[in-house]
Amino acid sequence: MPTVRLRDAEEYPEPARRAFELSKQWFGYDFPQPAAMTRVMAWDPHFGGPHGRAMKRAMTPGEFSRGEKEMVAAVVSGVNACGY
Amino acid sequence: MAGDAPWYEAAMVVGVTNALNVVADGLGALMTPAKPGAGPSAVTAVYDDIRAFYGGPAEIPLPFGLAAQDPRYLGDLWAAAKRAFSDNQLGRRLKTSLAFAVSLTTRSAFGTAFHLGEMRRLGVGEGGIMEVVGVTQMFSSYTKIADTLQLEPDMGDIAPVDRSPAPDGSPPT
Repeated sequence: MPTVRLRDAEEYPEPARRAFELSKQWFGYDFPQPAAMTRVMAWDPHFGGPHGRAMKRAMTPGEFSRGEKEMVAAVVSGVNACGY
Repeated sequence: MAGDAPWYEAAMVVGVTNALNVVADGLGALMTPAKPGAGPSAVTAVYDDIRAFYGGPAEIPLPFGLAAQDPRYLGDLWAAAKRAFSDNQLGRRLKTSLAFAVSLTTRSAFGTAFHLGEMRRLGVGEGGIMEVVGVTQMFSSYTKIADTLQLEPDMGDIAPVDRSPAPDGSPPT
C-alpha cells in the first residue's frame, strides 16, 4: 500500500489535468485514474515537469527504438527490484 | 517485439551479465586469470571461441579467465554466455546495450567498461550510448521514487497471454 494518499485526477489543478491527458496519449493506456507515477510527479510540477521532459527525451526513438528503450527501462527496473 | 520470447532472452542477458560481473568485480584483484596457452587444450579452444565472438581481442574478458581454473566450468559458462548474447529474437546490439544498462545500474566497474566497449565495437554511436545512459538514469530515479512511496503497479493485470512456444519447445496446450 502506498505510503502517501494518491490524489485522484479531479483533485489536481487544471494544468496537471492537461498533463494527465498528454501522459495518457504518450503511454497509450486508459486507466480509470492516471498512472500512479504520473500523479506523483504532478504533485510538484517544478520537479515533475523537467523530470518528465528528461524521461520523454530519453525515451524518444533515436539510434534505439521506443520498444528497445522500454526493454532497457524494464531491465533497469528489474535489477533495481522495483515491483512498480 | 511480440510475445514473451524477447523477455526471456532479456532476462537471460541480465542474469548472465550479473553472474560475470560479480566474479570480475569481486575477485579480479584477488585471483589471477588463466593465461592463454598456459592451460589444457580445452581452455585454448574456448579462448579461441571467446576471442572470435568479441572481435579478436588479445585479452580474454576477466570472468572467463578466472573461470578457466576449471576448464569444464569455463566451457559451460562460456556456452551459456555466448548463447545469451547471440542474435536471436533480440539482436546482439540490443542485448549488449541491456548488459551495459544492467552493469551501470548495479555499479559494476567491469561490466560497465566491458559492455560500453562492446557497444562501440558493434557500431552504437555516442548518441546511442547516451540514449541508453538516459533511460538507465531516468528509470533509476523512477524506481526509487516508486519504492519509497511503495506504489502499486498500474499494469499488473493487463499483460497479454503469450501463446508462442519456447525455443525448441511444444506450444502450450
